[in-house]
Amino acid sequence: MAVLLAALLLFAAASGLGVVLTRDPGRQVFALAINGLVLSLLFFALQAPDVALSEFTVGTVAVPLLFLATLAAVRINKERR
Amino acid sequence: MSGRARMILLALAALTILPGFWRVAQSLPAFGTAASPYGEAINRLGPELRHVANMVSAVNFDFRGFDTLGEEYMLLCAVAGTVLLLRGARGEDRAGHAGRVAGRPHEGRSDAIVLMSRIFGIFTLIFGAYVALHATATPGGGFQGGVIVATGLLMLYLGEGYERWRKLIRPPVLDVCEGGGALLMVAGGLLPVTMGRPFLENVLPFGTIKDMLSGGLMLVENAGVALAVAGGFTVLMVEFLEETRALLSEVEQGQEP
Repeated sequence: MAVLLAALLLFAAASGLGVVLTRDPGRQVFALAINGLVLSLLFFALQAPDVALSEFTVGTVAVPLLFLATLAAVRINKERR
Repeated sequence: MSGRARMILLALAALTILPGFWRVAQSLPAFGTAASPYGEAINRLGPELRHVANMVSAVNFDFRGFDTLGEEYMLLCAVAGTVLLLRGARGEDRAGHAGRVAGRPHEGRSDAIVLMSRIFGIFTLIFGAYVALHATATPGGGFQGGVIVATGLLMLYLGEGYERWRKLIRPPVLDVCEGGGALLMVAGGLLPVTMGRPFLENVLPFGTIKDMLSGGLMLVENAGVALAVAGGFTVLMVEFLEETRALLSEVEQGQEP
């Protein structure tokens, strides 16, 4: 269990760093979704399934979707001008 | 700001913050030690006092129910603000599908995607309802259930596309869910007041522990949160996806497939 937790914590740090280091917004959204997925696994391993559920649905699905829709709207509107 | 000035500012900020940070980090309980005294007390007394198995729900909807009410209205304000800001890009001049970025190939939806999203969308909706309904018995609750319902609806969007999805999802219904959920929470809180008791006091019968219908007033508050969160998140998705719709003029000019 300790190994799993340590691995997940390291993975969370690495994927968080990945979000910061990704420069292209389109890719960054997916890095953010992966970070959310790792965090929800971490919360699940720490025996907080309800927090894991919230993190998964909000961090991996809802927030990346809103970012993707925003990026798409920005690109579509840029072409109209 | 030049790179050098930025580094000096960072060093100054680090020098100021690090001693305090170190002190706080040193006095934190070791990783994996037992829960806080408050958590211990809730775990010991909660099942007896409220006949509820999921202590997180008991804290959210009963012991600290007032905080949840505040959070609920924060969500309501945030969603209302988003709807107000994004109100521009809707109306008669929009086509029933998303706009396209020029030069990017567009392939239609495959039957497999439609089938998968129909199957998993429905199961996700059922799972969301289950999580929301069993708030006091198993991990999860109104917030989690509501968000899962919203993601289930999003999965249907992936399969059906904008036009058919919007025939399914009616914003007035979502508005009623969102506002009605928030109203239900306040009404539930006011119920004890009408009986001359403090706001949000749990006056309803508690029921049996580990039962779906245990927890008394918590169930009302939980239903309010579930409705408001499911409605609020779906309204957010509708509003953001509205922004990506193609203009009818673009479709006529043949820019759109």
